[in-house]
This record gives sequence, C-alpha cells and structure tokens, in this order.
Amino acid sequence: MVPCIQASDVTLTFRPKDREAVTAINGLTLEVARGEFVSIVGPSGCGKSTFLNVLLGLLKPDKGEIQLNGKRISGPGEERAMVFQEFGLLPWRTVLANVELGLELKGVAADTRRKRARGLIELVGLTAFENHYPHELSGGMKQRVGLARALVTEPEVLLMDEPFAALDAQTRDLMQTELLQIWDRAKKTVIFVTHSIEEAAYLSDRVVIMSARPGKVKEVLRIGLPRPREYEMRLSPGFNEIKSRIWSTLKEELVTRIGGDGAQR
Amino acid sequence: MALRDRYYEHQRPILGTVSVIGFFLLWEWLLTSVVTVDPFFLTQPSKVAAAAKELFLGGAIWQDLAVSSKAFLWGFSAAVIVGIPTGVFMGWRRRAEYTLDPFFTALYASPLVALAPLLIIIFGVGLTGKVVLVFLLAVFPFIFNAFAGVKSTDRLLVNVVRSFGGKEKDIYWKVILPSILPYMVAGARIAIGRGIVGIIVGEFYAASEGIGFAISRFGDTYRLPEMFAAILVLMILAVVFTEGLRKLENVLAPWKIGQEAR
Amino acid sequence: MRALANFYREREPAILGGGFILSLILAWQSVPSLVSLPQGISLFFTTPVEVIKAFHQLVVQNQIQSHFYVSAVEFIVGLALAILVGLPLGLVMGRSKILDAMLDPFVTAFNATPRLIFLPLLILWFGIGIWSKITIVFVGAVFPLLINTYEGVKNVDRVLVNVVRSFGANEWQTMKTVVLPNSVPYIVVGLRLAIGRALLGVVVGEFFAASRGLGYMIANAATNYKVDVVFVGVTIFMGLSLILTYFVKKLESRLSRWRPETAKNF
Repeated sequence: MVPCIQASDVTLTFRPKDREAVTAINGLTLEVARGEFVSIVGPSGCGKSTFLNVLLGLLKPDKGEIQLNGKRISGPGEERAMVFQEFGLLPWRTVLANVELGLELKGVAADTRRKRARGLIELVGLTAFENHYPHELSGGMKQRVGLARALVTEPEVLLMDEPFAALDAQTRDLMQTELLQIWDRAKKTVIFVTHSIEEAAYLSDRVVIMSARPGKVKEVLRIGLPRPREYEMRLSPGFNEIKSRIWSTLKEELVTRIGGDGAQR
Repeated sequence: MALRDRYYEHQRPILGTVSVIGFFLLWEWLLTSVVTVDPFFLTQPSKVAAAAKELFLGGAIWQDLAVSSKAFLWGFSAAVIVGIPTGVFMGWRRRAEYTLDPFFTALYASPLVALAPLLIIIFGVGLTGKVVLVFLLAVFPFIFNAFAGVKSTDRLLVNVVRSFGGKEKDIYWKVILPSILPYMVAGARIAIGRGIVGIIVGEFYAASEGIGFAISRFGDTYRLPEMFAAILVLMILAVVFTEGLRKLENVLAPWKIGQEAR
Repeated sequence: MRALANFYREREPAILGGGFILSLILAWQSVPSLVSLPQGISLFFTTPVEVIKAFHQLVVQNQIQSHFYVSAVEFIVGLALAILVGLPLGLVMGRSKILDAMLDPFVTAFNATPRLIFLPLLILWFGIGIWSKITIVFVGAVFPLLINTYEGVKNVDRVLVNVVRSFGANEWQTMKTVVLPNSVPYIVVGLRLAIGRALLGVVVGEFFAASRGLGYMIANAATNYKVDVVFVGVTIFMGLSLILTYFVKKLESRLSRWRPETAKNF
C-alpha cells in the first residue's frame, strides 16, 4: 500500500539577503500512513516548521521531494490544511467569515460555504460566537476557530504547527482531548509539530525526533498506548517511561546545539 | 554566482541609484535630443547644475540661506522652549490636559498658515513675522509629542525604580527622560517640515531675501535653471534633516515606538 | 450641592476644555472695553462679534459662497487625484521589491520636502487658474496616502499571507483578502494627513495665485487691513479641518470594529 505521505531526502537551505545561508533541513526522510497521528519534536530551529511548510507547499525543497498519495507536492492543495501556532485568524473577519475563508478562495457559493462553515463551528462548540471578531475570543477559542477553518475544506491531511503552544496549561489539556475526539471521528492523517514531549507522547501513534539543525529524522518512536487515549494514562509509569525515552534522545541534540552555538561565536 | 549574490545583497541601493541616475539622464536626453521645449517652461539637468554652481560660487544663495535659517532657528527654538514644558505639564496634570487639549487640538488640526498674511501685515516683512509663523506651526508637534511621551511612560517602570529605592530624581532620569526622548525626536522631525512651510510661505508672501523669496523671484523672472537649483538645495536639506532625525530616533529608541504621536 | 459636584466630576473634561475656549473668546471680546488700544494696534485688532458681523455681511453679499465653491472644487479634485494615484502606487510599491527600490529615493525626497516650494513652478506651468491649485493640492496630498498605504502593505502579518496561500490563493486573492483589509487603517490615517496637506495647498495656493477662493479672500483682506474678514476666512478653514478630521475619525472607528479597543485610538 502506498503511504499517505512519503518524504524522501528533503533538503532546504534558506538564503537570506543580508545573512549567511542556513540549511534548515538536510536529507529528511519520513513515511506516514493514512489516518496516522504523527508528532514531530526537536530542538528549536531544527526545521520542524520548515518541514511543515514544505508539506503545505509554501516552500520548495532544494533536493528531494514529498509525495502525497504517490503524487509529488508542488504547491498548496486542498488535501492539506494547516493549523497555525499564532492562530493566523484574519482579525477583520468574524469567526464565521474566518472559517469560510478556504471555501471562499475556492469559489464555493456563499450559501453552501456558510452552511459548511456553520457545521464546523458547531463541531468545535463555537456556535454562539460565530459573529464575534477574533480579538473578542480567548486563546482556546481562537484555536478552535483555526481548527474549524482547517477542516472546512475537508482535507485528508491536517498539519499542525505547535497549535497549542500559545495556550495556558488547562486550555491546552482540554484542546488535546478535543483534538483526539475530532481526529477519531474525522479519520484524518495528522502531522503535529510540538515542543512538548508530553503532548507528543499523549497524542501520537508515532513520535518523530529530529536532530539539531540541519534537521533530519534522528529517531522514530512508536507509542504503544491503547486508543482511545484517556487523560489518566499520563499518570501511568509506562507513560513516564515513554517520556523519558524521548527526552534522553532529545537531550543529546540539545547539547549538540548549545555546543554548536558556542563554537560559532 | 558570487556576483549575483552580491547584487541581491545590495539590491535596494543599487536599484535606487540606477533609477535616480537614469531619471536625470533620461530627462537630459529627452530635452536635448528628442523634443524641444520652451526654456521658459522646462529646463534640463545640465543647465540646473550650471546654475547651482553659479549660485553657490557666486555666493548669492548663501545670503538667502542664512536669512531663512536665522528666522527658522529663532522660531524653532521658541517652539522647543514653549512646546516641551507645555506638553510635559499637560501629560503630568490631568486637569491641564482637560483644559488645554481641545484648544490645542483644534489649533493643530487647522491650517494656521492661513494667518500668514495677517502676521506679516502686523509684524512686517522682516524677521519677526517669519519667526512667529514658524513658531506657530512648529510648537504643536512638540506639545503633543511631549504630552504623548509622558503619557506613555510606563507606571510599572516607575514602580520598579521606586521598589529599588529610587528617588524622584532617578525616576526622571531613568524612566521619564528615556520615554520622552524618542517622542521629542519624532516631534522635531514633524516640526522641521512645518517650520520650513512657515519660512517658505512667509517668504513667498512678502520678503526681499531668503530662499523662499529666491525661488519665487526666479519663477517670476522665468529663470528656470536657478529655480530648479534652489528647489533642489531645499530638497537636499530637507532630506538630510528628516532622515538624520529618523536615524537618531532609531538610535535613541531601538525598541521602536512604531507609531508617530499625531 | 452634591449633585452639582457630581455633575462636574462626570463632565470635567468637557467643562474644563469648553470653558477654556469660551473664556478665551470672552477675554478677546472684552479687550477693547478694558484697555484703550493705541492707534497702531487697533488697526490690526478685531473682536469676535465683529468677525461674526463680517461673516454675516459676506454671506448676504454671496461672497463667501462663491469663494467657498472655488476652494472646494480645488480641494476635492486635487484630493481625489491624490487618492487615485497614491493608493494603487502604494499597493504596488508594497508588493514589488524592485519598484519599491527604484521609486523609494524619489518618494523619500519629495515626502521630506514641503511641496509648497513647487508653487512658483506650478504657477509658471499652470497659470493662476484652478489647475495650479489642484496640482499643489495633489502633490501635497499624494505622498501621505502613498506612504501610509505602503506601510499598511508592508506591515501585513506574514502568517496571514501564508494562511491564504495555504488555501491556494493567488496574488490577487491575497491582495483582496489580506493585504487590502490590513492596509485600511493605515490608509485612513494617510487620508487624515492628506486632508491637512490638501487644505494647506488650497490656502497657500490661493494666497499667491488666485483671483477667487477663500485663501485669496484672506490675503486680499489682509492687504486692505480688513482684519475681521481675515478671521472669517481663518475660522472657516479651522471649522473645515475640524469637521473633516471628525468624519475621518468616525470612518476610522467604523472601519476598525475588528480591532481591540486599545488600538483604536491610534
């Protein structure tokens, strides 16, 4: 069976005008099955977000390629949608208009898109707020809008770039549980970038640990916890063991990175 | 490849220089080789350059610049001396703000230049009329920027300094002054533009010397190369002043205030 | 007594602010009855009541109306041209690095320079008819509009651009859904500045090159020592700028309903 996502030897170098070129990812290879929930963790600046942007089709790799269902990704497409860390809501649009955005850009008729957007707003529990502007919402509500907006075009693959990083701890726990419920119902393939080891372990089928810049896959860890995941699982010794395994792999990279930075100066 | 990288590194200044030089070359070429234009209507860069050389070497322009600068400096200094304390006072005392703000806002929003003819018949065509006009136009940016600067002073920072045992004096020097300074420079930048307007209008209206008078006299006598040269001199001066102050603003407030107060 | 104190406390800014302006006007009015002005000063002196009388006189004679009409046409046509040129140019400069780099030296130079210095040149080119004033209004107003539009485009949040591009938006759709809405508050600020510059252009343009218009009326009255008429003109210009500023501010808050309350004041 063809994997849903197949990244082979993806390499990308940024060449900013006034600074030295930076190779963000170097030879990244990864396969993701259909319906799988995969998290990516790694040191800051290891190219996690860059990889997501390549997946999204906003950046083109210098070398290598990513295939989606056996077809090469060459630009944005409706099979993929992103949930952004800073929410990325258009501040001048109401919740409803924000969720409609993807359909509007595709040229879907107004009444159809309104209906579909309302369905997703209901899914994330914001029906009472559909005419509010983003600045009137809490962080958790904003990210619910971000999620609804990503889901509205019915993508196969959901890309999530540290979506809960800007939320407080309780809201974050709540959103994780909700995300898992939605994922369970909608059967999407999810690529989830995060800084939180706990979050990665709790949500994912597999956790990808990336090396320090230039980023590539250092280790992939299958999380054996049963589904559906329960919050209580986080308190089990097994969960702690998973966390410490991720942490020990990651720690080597953090040390490399700090050492590397020191040498540059 | 290396050359191309070099180009991309400096794309902005390269393109800017090319387009400015290109503009003058095109202008020159169009007027000398392509079309013939009435010399009383338009002139070309080479003649402007010759006129500028003549103006500077002949010394005629220096006298005009000196006359204008003198009026400008008097009016501008008065605006600083009156404007900053007034603004600080308004920012400091709530009642002063309530009392003065509507009146000053109304004056600042109005084209006070409309008073120019009156000021000139009252104070005459000499120095005083221009000084008053420059003062009237330049004082409000200082008032409102000093006001905004004081208002923007972070109360938290005042408390931080107090909590470390700082005295009133420390609060002034370590919190308020650094907060106001970038606003003052921004105010000065706006005030310079308005002050030049005052000088120009005053000298257009009634004067016997000064750079504004020179420009308008060259216009009246159809001496286009000289007029363009004088305009160019003023443009260069304005750019040097405003860009210099913008740089200074960035030096004084690297964290950037981001927005101009009014 | 308590009620009065409360009434005052609730309306303190309005009472102090309005009271100050009112007492200035009253003080001005009462100067001649308090001191006897020497000949040299009384020639240049007028009182608010005389200004109002002069205004009434000018309205009856239909003079204000015809001057106002000319000034209004110059203002409106010049400002409209500035909007038609400034907005598209600002948008294009904000989106195209090459055009930005090429035009920036000119924009910076012209923006730093008070454009009034071009007045003698414009008079030479267009004469003292309406077009010299329209062009001086235009060159005054176009740069604040252009620069603020440009700033609005430049300050677009990269994330938002990525959001719409991730949905497959093309350049035009990006412009329509993100760049333009983001620029609106900047454009309105630009409009507010442009209105000020445009009025300045009308006033000064008419001082030196006109036979009609409110600026001409002021200059002409000053030459003939009709100080009350000068103040009529000045007051009209003040009133106009206040009214226009008020409407732009209204527009500003209407167009920025989506912004948090704290940001609205800027």
